[in-house]
Amino acid sequence: MGKLRQQVSKWMMQNLELPADVVMDLPRITMIGQLHIYIENHRGVKAFSNEQLTLKLKQGTLVIKGREFVIKTILPEEILLEGTISSVDFDDV
Amino acid sequence: MKSKWNNKLKGYVRMEIIGQDTSSFINTCIQSGIKIWDIKPLDSEHVHVSISVSDIRKAKAILKENKLKIRIKEKMGTPFLLKKMWKRNGFILGMASFIFVLFLLSNMIWNINVIGANPKTEYELRKAALEIGVTKGKFIFLLPNVREIQRQLTEKMGNVTWIGVTQHGTSYQFEVVEKEIPKANPTTGPRHLVATKQAVIHSLFVEKGQPVVTVNDYVQKGSLLVSGFIGKEKKPELVSAKGEILGEVWYETKVEIPLNTSFQTYTGKFKNKHYISLFGWDVPIYGISDGEFQDKTETLNETPLYLAKWKMPVSYLKKEIRETDGVKRSYTKAEAIEVGKKMAKKELLKKLPEDAKIKGEKVWQQKVSNGKVKLTMLYQVIENIASEQPIPIQQGE
Repeated sequence: MGKLRQQVSKWMMQNLELPADVVMDLPRITMIGQLHIYIENHRGVKAFSNEQLTLKLKQGTLVIKGREFVIKTILPEEILLEGTISSVDFDDV
Repeated sequence: MKSKWNNKLKGYVRMEIIGQDTSSFINTCIQSGIKIWDIKPLDSEHVHVSISVSDIRKAKAILKENKLKIRIKEKMGTPFLLKKMWKRNGFILGMASFIFVLFLLSNMIWNINVIGANPKTEYELRKAALEIGVTKGKFIFLLPNVREIQRQLTEKMGNVTWIGVTQHGTSYQFEVVEKEIPKANPTTGPRHLVATKQAVIHSLFVEKGQPVVTVNDYVQKGSLLVSGFIGKEKKPELVSAKGEILGEVWYETKVEIPLNTSFQTYTGKFKNKHYISLFGWDVPIYGISDGEFQDKTETLNETPLYLAKWKMPVSYLKKEIRETDGVKRSYTKAEAIEVGKKMAKKELLKKLPEDAKIKGEKVWQQKVSNGKVKLTMLYQVIENIASEQPIPIQQGE
């Protein structure tokens, strides 16, 4: 069932030109240089330290590395991180 | 951004969370709808977090569940600011009372000016203003407006044509136009009219009293002209004699006119020289030449310098050199007489009262001696010769 739904949404995205993040429940990540990173559609904080933020996603995790991290805003589905960002990694677990 | 201001308005707390599992606290907060922001990890066990005041209680419960400790670092926003301010209420009170006093003082009458009134009217006006309530120290906002004040004052003041009231900030200005009430003639006591000088009566105009002279009578100084006694001889009534008695009076004026006179006149050319005088030494600083005038007069202006009240040995000198011109004037005998007549008349007019008329003039004597013409002029002048002389009231009549 889940697989079918995923396939349908993939098809919709490709053929109906709907944005992927809406259709497939994927995170939308906006970065402004190294200063800000804005992540929509996350599923909570897994771990947070000065140099690393691990976010739960619908599938897998997102690992953001850098220095002097501060979570400026955090809402159920959005997060705004400030600091010096050096890398953004997806971990499929 | 909007929420940030909102947070500030409602008040928020910056606190330190101490414990192992801080991220789960963050998740729980988000899930239960508690807003947290500015999350700044210091190290693995200390995290700084901002949280709204209204959410603190809920957050504390969650923290207890997660076995975390908190320490409040800073309280920010309006509620805390107000609390802080309330602690320094003396200061606030002072500020508020200052503003209040300033407001009161700037709404008070500080000054009342009266323009164009004599002291009596001014006093009455101030009194009338006091009745309305316009005095120093009254609050402007408790008074009727300017137009109303003007109306009331004009009504109250009978002897005033118009009062203009203007308000300049904290001062009122009353402009007064006074009514000109004709002066009542001063009542006079019983009196005679007597002659002031030797004269021949020219005409009589008697308003009150019994004239005792007629036209062409010759009167001496001090002789009675109009009597203050009227009515029957046996029972005379006393009145204040009044009238105009014109008499012909002779004036003699002597003048001397030299036939030849020399004058000095300024030609209008001048030079200024400037000096600074140091201990009596005059040091020229500007204007070297003397102007090479043939005839000249010099005037010296000294402006000493003072230090406080002591005169300094330094002064500024200004020398004005003006060119003069010698003029000689000579008259013939006839001219001299003509000039002499004019001079004599001028002199006479100085002596005469304003309403006097010169009826005729005569050259009485003319002599030429020592280059001078000596003239004696006689003038026939018609003037009022009457003067009042009070009649002493006899007691015990």
